[in-house]
Amino acid sequence: MDWFTKLVEEFKVAFIVDNRWKYIVDGIGSTLLLTFLSLILGVVIGIVIAAVRSTYDKQFTDMRAGIGKTLLRIGNGICKCYLTIFRGTPVMVQILIIFFVIMASSRNKMLCGVVAFGLNSAAYVAEIIRSGIMSIDPGQTEAGRSLGLNYIQTMAYIVLPQAFKNILPALANEFITLLKETSVAGYVGVTDLTRGANIIRGITYQSFWPLFAIAAIYLAMVMFFTWLVGKLERRLKNSER
Amino acid sequence: MNAKSNNEVLIRVRDLKKYYKGDKIKALDGISNDIHRGEVVVIIGPSGSGKSTFLRSMNLLEVPTDGTIDFAGQILTDKKTDINLCRQKMGMVFQHFNLFPHMTVLRNMTLAPMKLLKKSQEEAEARAMQLLTRVGLADRAQAYPSQLSGGQKQRIAIVRAMAMDPDVILFDEPTSALDPEMVGEVLDLMKSLAEDGMTMVIVTHEMGFAREVADRIIFVDEGKIVEEGTPEEFFTNPKNPRLKDFLSKVL
Repeated sequence: MDWFTKLVEEFKVAFIVDNRWKYIVDGIGSTLLLTFLSLILGVVIGIVIAAVRSTYDKQFTDMRAGIGKTLLRIGNGICKCYLTIFRGTPVMVQILIIFFVIMASSRNKMLCGVVAFGLNSAAYVAEIIRSGIMSIDPGQTEAGRSLGLNYIQTMAYIVLPQAFKNILPALANEFITLLKETSVAGYVGVTDLTRGANIIRGITYQSFWPLFAIAAIYLAMVMFFTWLVGKLERRLKNSER
Repeated sequence: MNAKSNNEVLIRVRDLKKYYKGDKIKALDGISNDIHRGEVVVIIGPSGSGKSTFLRSMNLLEVPTDGTIDFAGQILTDKKTDINLCRQKMGMVFQHFNLFPHMTVLRNMTLAPMKLLKKSQEEAEARAMQLLTRVGLADRAQAYPSQLSGGQKQRIAIVRAMAMDPDVILFDEPTSALDPEMVGEVLDLMKSLAEDGMTMVIVTHEMGFAREVADRIIFVDEGKIVEEGTPEEFFTNPKNPRLKDFLSKVL
């Protein structure tokens, strides 16, 4: 039982001595905060991009020439550039650029992290939302418009509520991916879960417990959120029966 | 023209054209027609003839390439016209019903009256229940569209359009997606609307219905009106060879 005693001893050194478990608990808090705030920012920007892109897809050919049509074309071009850049470069590079170049004067590491992950996530969320909007039968839009609802009212009351239901699984996946991706935030000094484990490693020269512990915690969080979304999905489905 | 329709022109269509891909495909190739208030006009024609495009142009779901549509004095094809306001007075019924699946039957019917006519919920629901009672579906008010049969869905779609108290209702093949045994209930409802004096423009393949209910029938082929007339002269004495050929196939 020698190895077992050793393992217990290592566990004590890793988490109990000097209350080192606090690094882990604080890390969980930071990781969740960073993920939630990034997702909110991502969804807000994502909705704007999706609105421009899907309006362009649906309306452009039928639009009368004029200032609106020109603005829509320009807006769509900008959104496409945004998507290409943020989906075409590693999030690690993006966060480094934002921390060391664009927001170099800001000392708020969490804010930098939220901006970086939010902007990155927005690119993915935008395409998820757009695919959701495009998945709704055009007949729904036609029915709304034929009653006299304008484009925005039709979107708000008819298309988006149905689209949301369709994209919920994809949106949840994005949230879960984001939760795991934030593990690189430690590189710019955000004391997230991974960073917490690395701090313990630095103090104790032990890797086994801190790393397996955070792996288990990430897994538990992912499983919990997956379960939560499944529940929400079933409830949404019930409203149609 | 039937005695019940007067001479007031409700929809005046002039030289309507709809081209796709530059001008390679001519879905509508210069259509002119007047729809009078109270009139029931049935549009027939082979598939791909442009009859649905013609109907959908009347409320600008299809934006015409050229031509004018005048609806009760409003030039719909003029970009200064508030098309949303005009559409409130032009109901539409679709082949695939297009009920809103995430809303109850009642909500389907009260959404537009509440948002656009600024009716109170009580007012809108009272009107909706009155219409549902008329079509014998009052007990389905709280149901979702997925719980209804095809015939029920289409009857709801018709009363949803009526809840806006439109001046005209456009029907785009309203019975084509229905099981045969459900066609009758929808046609009966449309017949009773016609008897009430509702202005109706109907694209359909139901020749028996057209003969019985229409004041006027229009035959469209290759984007043009080839022949029009009362059901009697239309069915007993067709003049155009393409119409003769069409009728020999469908009758």
